[in-house]
Amino acid sequence: MFENFLFLSSALLTLAGALGVVFTKNLMHACVLLLATLFGVSGLYAVIGADFLAASQLVVYAGGVIILMLFAVMLTGGTADNDNKFGIEKVAAMGSVKTYIYAGLTVLVMSFTILKILANYMRTFEPGKLAPFESTVEEIGTLLVTDHVLAFEISSILLLGALVGAAAIARPRKG
Amino acid sequence: MVSLSSYLFISFALFISGLAVMIARKNIIAILLGIELILNSAALNFAAYARFVNQNIDGHLMSLFIIVIAAAEAAVGLAIVIRFFQIKETIHIDDATQLQA
Repeated sequence: MFENFLFLSSALLTLAGALGVVFTKNLMHACVLLLATLFGVSGLYAVIGADFLAASQLVVYAGGVIILMLFAVMLTGGTADNDNKFGIEKVAAMGSVKTYIYAGLTVLVMSFTILKILANYMRTFEPGKLAPFESTVEEIGTLLVTDHVLAFEISSILLLGALVGAAAIARPRKG
Repeated sequence: MVSLSSYLFISFALFISGLAVMIARKNIIAILLGIELILNSAALNFAAYARFVNQNIDGHLMSLFIIVIAAAEAAVGLAIVIRFFQIKETIHIDDATQLQA
């Protein structure tokens, strides 16, 4: 029941966000809708028990990639529509009903995801009847430094190269 | 309801959306958004098969590496976009016609 509800809301958020990225005109809105899609995918990970993947999806995408995208959109002046469809200049408002509906759905999925991740640690047991540890973090950590250690080290070099390369490419040159 | 086929359908929809964005949009940042969608669909497929088919945690590691690669790709891609904007004053894909600045 709970899993079905989480799955349905996450799938709905994912598909609606993906379709919104396709059909919206405003690039800023496309970035925010992509954020909704990534939250939905994180919820889908949480449904199938991949708690570490869900957490890293939230941290890396919501904390890193989308912020980078929004910075790039703003630095390149992507959205030049400060007028609404009647030609009147828009004022900063506290949001419309649509905004609050999007925000409510996103908060719902996010809180379910976070609760699903935290549920392993917040459960209480009878004394002497502890359940086995079910999180995948320990297995993933063990596999990363045993079977997949070469890929792990190569990805660290890749990240260093991407960091230095991005700084070198975006640096303003003289002359 | 939570089954392999429903996950594959969602992944398929994500892939098609990303492909449509990459083909139809003329803005370089929007094309990068499409690439993110496609990478997410691939990672979702890995996690779904790892859960429903062979119960092996190696699929999660593949998804994790996909997330890492997507972050690196976004950083370098957006740096290129910003550099391109400094030179050309536009981020329209049809203006990227020459290799030399």
